[in-house]
Amino acid sequence: MRLDDMFEYVLLSFRADRGRALMSSLGIIIGVISIVVMLSVGEGLYGGVNERFGDLDMDLITVRPGSDMGHGGPGDRPRSTPEEPAELSEKDVKIIENVGGVGDVYPLKVTNALLSFRGDNTTIRVLGVAPENHADLEEVVDRGRFLVDSDYKTAVVSHDVADNFFRMKISPGNKIRLYRTEEGRHMDFKVVGVLEEDEDPTYASENTIYITHRAMEDLLDLEDYHYSMIMVRAKDSSRVETVAEEMNEDLSRIHRDEAYTVEPLTTRLESMLEILVMIKYALAGIGSISLIVGAIGISNVMMLTVRERTQEIGVMKAIGATAWEVRTLYLLDAGMLGLVGSLVGILLGVLISNVIGSVAMIPVAVTGQSIAFGLLFGVLITSIAGVYPANKAAKLDPIEALQAE
Amino acid sequence: MSVVEIIDLEKTYKVGDMDVPVLKGISLWIEPAEFVALMGPSGCGKSTLMNILGCLDRPSSGRVLLKGRDVGDLSDGELARIRRDDIGFVFQSYNLIGRMSNLMNVELPMTLKGVSRDQRKRRARELLAEVGLDHRLDYSPLNLSGGERQRVAIARALANDPAIILADEPTGNLDTKSTKEIMKILRGLNEEGRTIVMVTHDIETTENCSRVVWMRDGRVGDDAS
Repeated sequence: MRLDDMFEYVLLSFRADRGRALMSSLGIIIGVISIVVMLSVGEGLYGGVNERFGDLDMDLITVRPGSDMGHGGPGDRPRSTPEEPAELSEKDVKIIENVGGVGDVYPLKVTNALLSFRGDNTTIRVLGVAPENHADLEEVVDRGRFLVDSDYKTAVVSHDVADNFFRMKISPGNKIRLYRTEEGRHMDFKVVGVLEEDEDPTYASENTIYITHRAMEDLLDLEDYHYSMIMVRAKDSSRVETVAEEMNEDLSRIHRDEAYTVEPLTTRLESMLEILVMIKYALAGIGSISLIVGAIGISNVMMLTVRERTQEIGVMKAIGATAWEVRTLYLLDAGMLGLVGSLVGILLGVLISNVIGSVAMIPVAVTGQSIAFGLLFGVLITSIAGVYPANKAAKLDPIEALQAE
Repeated sequence: MSVVEIIDLEKTYKVGDMDVPVLKGISLWIEPAEFVALMGPSGCGKSTLMNILGCLDRPSSGRVLLKGRDVGDLSDGELARIRRDDIGFVFQSYNLIGRMSNLMNVELPMTLKGVSRDQRKRRARELLAEVGLDHRLDYSPLNLSGGERQRVAIARALANDPAIILADEPTGNLDTKSTKEIMKILRGLNEEGRTIVMVTHDIETTENCSRVVWMRDGRVGDDAS
């Protein structure tokens, strides 16, 4: 039997029984849709994160207390025993400043507080900074000025806090009040500056108010004031890993049994992207499950078809069809259902991905890879699902099959 | 050369642990252009003999030669090729495919053989015209009467110009009028020189046969001319 005639035979059976073709390919359509959508959403998340953080300063290194779970950056040390998180202080800043290749060092203290302005309250992030090092922030001041070292009860706010958080815009010269929510402690600040909208958010991003460490220390009223994090800029971004290693070595002398992590920002981005790749394939895996369920559906419908057509298969064999030809016919049947179902699924999947993208504001990206994956998987799984029914058909004994009604 | 040579054919089926002999040593020669009627009571082994002649089943022992070729040694694939090229089946229940047109049904053996579309459509039309159904080409066999269906089946059996036509009670489901029509067609084919073996219960249908072979209890009885 020639291949084109086989196709004709299969098409004839689709035409003769459209309901069967539709019902059996429905599962595949849904399966392929979910694979394409899941991959596209995953790809979109990846692309979004990469785009947002991809052009980060590659020369930044962070030093944080505690050990980084699992990830093997240059800051990793053998952790045979659980360690106390290191307390980062001015001593650490001095040590880091003395490491070769280190540029600016910014110790940061982060906390949340309630910001009150003219009777309205909102929770924001408060960042304690050492102003002399923040040349970069001075450059992005929109109105007023940035903090200086001698500032005490003065604050600089990010653009969104100034413009959007309250009924009235905050301008330099305004008074604001910060509450440490749990204790009711409060301090009044005078706003001296508002930052520009930050298109390249790093540690200085949105929803933030900047004060000096001195003010932060009094606001928190702690006995021991430690930094939440020390940001370090390497002079040469190509040497950032080496600088991080040297910092790690020098810091280990004063934090012998304490955990801390020295990590270039790029490493963080990489590990985040790695996680997103895993999420993408996990999503695709979930999509594949529905495809497999769909394939089982095809297998079932085909088993029914073979049973219904037992007599026909008997006739075909009696008048000279070989087992190979019968098997090929039914594999082709499944394969074509898979192909058509996958194509329809891809089409709908692309559509749905775009709808999800625009509704959920995710930068959904339908890539050739997701389409190829959906198509390949759809056809492959359906063909595999067709193997059993096709073999069943091929192995029918013509004498018995002819007697079937 | 005989079209069919059967020598000491035995066929035994296994039912559970028991061997049930169905054909118990049959020898039979069928010459070209013979029209052989195979008669006998139910269960005498007619159908089994037809299945083996039709290469749907294999002998347990003995030899069956079709056009001089021993079919006992052939693979399943080779047997299928013989069924396709050398044997034309006509069944009691027609066994046409309902979702195909009459034309496609007649084409099917040629389709399986890989005959080109134009060629097989032309031949299928000719064959359906020969059996008087050229006005029903695109109908489904389901829309035809029993007699008409059997005519389509005969056209299909002739598609690949087989060496022998095996008709298993071709008139078993038909009324008298249709029976006469079918027998007339078969007689005509025989007169054109085709070899036919027909299983029948109806003695009247044997009047055009060149020979009647009686079977009883797995054996061939007297040959009656």
